[in-house]
Amino acid sequence: MRAAAVQLGAPVVLVGAAGALGAFVSATNEIYFVTALIQVSTVVAIYVFVGNSGVLSFGHISFFAVGVWAAGVLSVPEQEKPATMPYLFDFLSSTTVGNVPSLAIAAVVGGAFALVVGLPLMRLSGLAAGIATFAVLGITNNILRYYEKIGPGLNTFSSVPETTGLLQATVGAVLVIVAAFAYQRSRLGRQLRAAREDPAAARAVGVSIYRQRLASFALSGFLAGFAGGLYIHFIPINVDAVYLDLTFITLAMLVIGGTTSLWGAVVGALFVSALDSVLAEMEDGMTILGHTIDLPVGSRIVVVSAVMALVVIVRPSGLTGGREFSLPRLRTAGAR
Amino acid sequence: MSFLRDALDLQVQVDAVGLGAIYALMAVGIGLVFGVMRLVNFAYGQLIMAGAFALAFASDRDWPVAVGIALCFGVVLALSLAMERVVFRPLRTQSAAVMLIATFAVAFLLQSIALLWFGPLGKTATSLVQLNRPVEIGSVEIRKITIVAIVTAVVCLLLLVALLNRTALGLHMRAAAIDSQTARLLGVRANLVSTASVLIAGALAAVVAVMLTVQFPTVTPTFALQDTILVLAGVVVGGMTRLLSATLGGFLIGYVSGILGGALPSEQSQYLPSLVFGLVILVLLVRPDGLFTRGRGLVERV
Amino acid sequence: MSTLEVRDLEVAYGGVPAVRGISFSVTPGEIVGLIGPNGAGKSTTLHAIMGVVPARGGEITLGGRSLRGRSPEAVARSGIALVPEGRRLFAELTVDENLRLGLAARASSEGVEADLAEVCELFPVCAEFRDRHAGALSGGQQQQLAIARALVAKPSVLMLDEPSLGLAPTVVDLVFSTLRTVAERGIGVLLVEQRAQRTVALATRTHVLANGELRLTLTPDDAADTDRMVAAYLS
Repeated sequence: MRAAAVQLGAPVVLVGAAGALGAFVSATNEIYFVTALIQVSTVVAIYVFVGNSGVLSFGHISFFAVGVWAAGVLSVPEQEKPATMPYLFDFLSSTTVGNVPSLAIAAVVGGAFALVVGLPLMRLSGLAAGIATFAVLGITNNILRYYEKIGPGLNTFSSVPETTGLLQATVGAVLVIVAAFAYQRSRLGRQLRAAREDPAAARAVGVSIYRQRLASFALSGFLAGFAGGLYIHFIPINVDAVYLDLTFITLAMLVIGGTTSLWGAVVGALFVSALDSVLAEMEDGMTILGHTIDLPVGSRIVVVSAVMALVVIVRPSGLTGGREFSLPRLRTAGAR
Repeated sequence: MSFLRDALDLQVQVDAVGLGAIYALMAVGIGLVFGVMRLVNFAYGQLIMAGAFALAFASDRDWPVAVGIALCFGVVLALSLAMERVVFRPLRTQSAAVMLIATFAVAFLLQSIALLWFGPLGKTATSLVQLNRPVEIGSVEIRKITIVAIVTAVVCLLLLVALLNRTALGLHMRAAAIDSQTARLLGVRANLVSTASVLIAGALAAVVAVMLTVQFPTVTPTFALQDTILVLAGVVVGGMTRLLSATLGGFLIGYVSGILGGALPSEQSQYLPSLVFGLVILVLLVRPDGLFTRGRGLVERV
Repeated sequence: MSTLEVRDLEVAYGGVPAVRGISFSVTPGEIVGLIGPNGAGKSTTLHAIMGVVPARGGEITLGGRSLRGRSPEAVARSGIALVPEGRRLFAELTVDENLRLGLAARASSEGVEADLAEVCELFPVCAEFRDRHAGALSGGQQQQLAIARALVAKPSVLMLDEPSLGLAPTVVDLVFSTLRTVAERGIGVLLVEQRAQRTVALATRTHVLANGELRLTLTPDDAADTDRMVAAYLS
């Protein structure tokens, strides 16, 4: 029981600390903190599926993107919609919802989309799953890009009320973490993990690997959609901001942190985000201890991808070793 | 009706075959490494990009064409060797998914280095541009590069077939692709075979870089990215486990792309990527070894 | 032609010991048998010699030079040829191609054609079905091809993992008599088998393995005396 509290508490405390810290920095730096917290939500959402099932998915940013679209389209005030989204379906152009409803809808749409995609795809493993989910990413991007009846297409999503600040991002991240933790401790989550370790044994005790994966995938899509909703309420984006680059960086965060644990997902997201932010500052020209560092623009992604490649080659289990957080054991006198 | 007429137009057909030829070579590069090492090199497109930048580099300095091409080959082969040594070999024992992530990371690394070095606008490679000019054959204007592409592809493929079927190295590579464990028991040097396949794939990438820069002289960090994704789709659809089916898949997707590109008005071709990706998913679900093979099961299913 | 020496070999899978310190040797010209129940560690011993699984302890030398820690292809090139369980031929390659694959482990590239011809004399299937796919051969023919493939590498020691598996008795006769010919030509033969009695009759000496340990050594004189062998398994 205590171990569970610690395992949940650590990421929550870390995220809370990040949020608190963000309150004390300048407005420009606060952006980095909010971004980091939204990335925590995203990476944890991806972890819920990839970490528990052991199946690679390149497609989760499609659920994120769908969440962006759903929350965004429904949040833009009615009179502003024709500016960037002139061809919307009637029911979309005449409906506007508030902040929380938009987040809820984003989550539901993300989860529903994931369920539909997962129905055929969850039979695949390994390489095939990677390729198939990549194809889903491609299809989603293609449709969102050109289907102007459901969103802004190639236009930038602007005029979305910017309700995601430090508080919303922190609360959102904590909610996603709690949901992920609840799932992995539940019977469903444990069955999936068992199937990941030893598929034959799991099947022998009656676990339906397909169904467990589908459930996990759908939850993962639900959380990713939610994260997408958080994101669109933070900054205006366009369709390519939720495609390959974001897929890469969120996967990098998960891999670097440690694919198989919640702690790994959170640590990875915060660590890479921090690294990325520091590098971004250096690209703008940063002064430390009297020395100015001015990195050429584009160095950040070089560093992040190099770190990711290095981690995969040298320490595939990531910074956390793929384990949950645990307190160092106290040695008691007389114990072995 | 006009689509059909446009599609069957000799001009469009020839260009489509030309594109198919280039994609076939890329498919061989990807399929060869996959066959021998069971590794999908997501970073293959970046090899082509690197070669194209080498050409642009040489063209900027007005170096002779031959030097530019030599530089292109040098850069691509060196990069291929580095990838094999630093990334592929250490990960040989890992699962296919881990290798996929690793090559994904390498792809981004290379692309971001190029972005850093050359900026998003890239450079132009103009030394071979005269090959882009057309030649009149009968009623059709065929660009010289199309002829070069087709001939080069045929020659390369014939050379490869000769290597695989008539040399000891080729035999070792084929055996390693079928059953690398047993091949090693017989004395086949796993490292040598891997390096050879990577180098051949690299050489093909360099050839493709040369041919693509003729048609698209502007080289940006995303050079050949779309093409690589398409070729990967073609290889999966055709069948990854056999070189022949992978090549056919690559050719076919190039050919069909060329036809659709030449005959479809642009509004209708918007959702083409979705169709292609959808086909990939369908094949993975229904006929995972590809449309053109009767091969061993490579796809694990639950 | 060198002697294969195995001393105090220990092999474990994870934490589970499969071979617990066995010792034996194979000198050129002898046939050494290795029999025992399933799971006794016979195949594991062959795999450890071949470098497919790492040895946790002990020594493996060929002609005095250590083989431990070398990759399978390096061990093959040192002069040990393995005919694996189930033969593991390349079904889609031709008989000739399968044969030529065996050349990969040869020390020198001289006299290849002569050796190929010689092996084809010993195993007529090689010449008869030269350009057919190996998958089209019968079980017995495949076994011949597998041994032929191992021999073209000119090994010092030929190891076979249950060659009689799935073969009809007459075919087994053929295989075993071929092994005798191979040994007479100065190659050491290490034969892992389930058919205890026939192995004991054929081999110079036969070691009985059980639970990773070498329990007993039998000679051809013991061939008819199966009771002792059964007792060894049960103890």
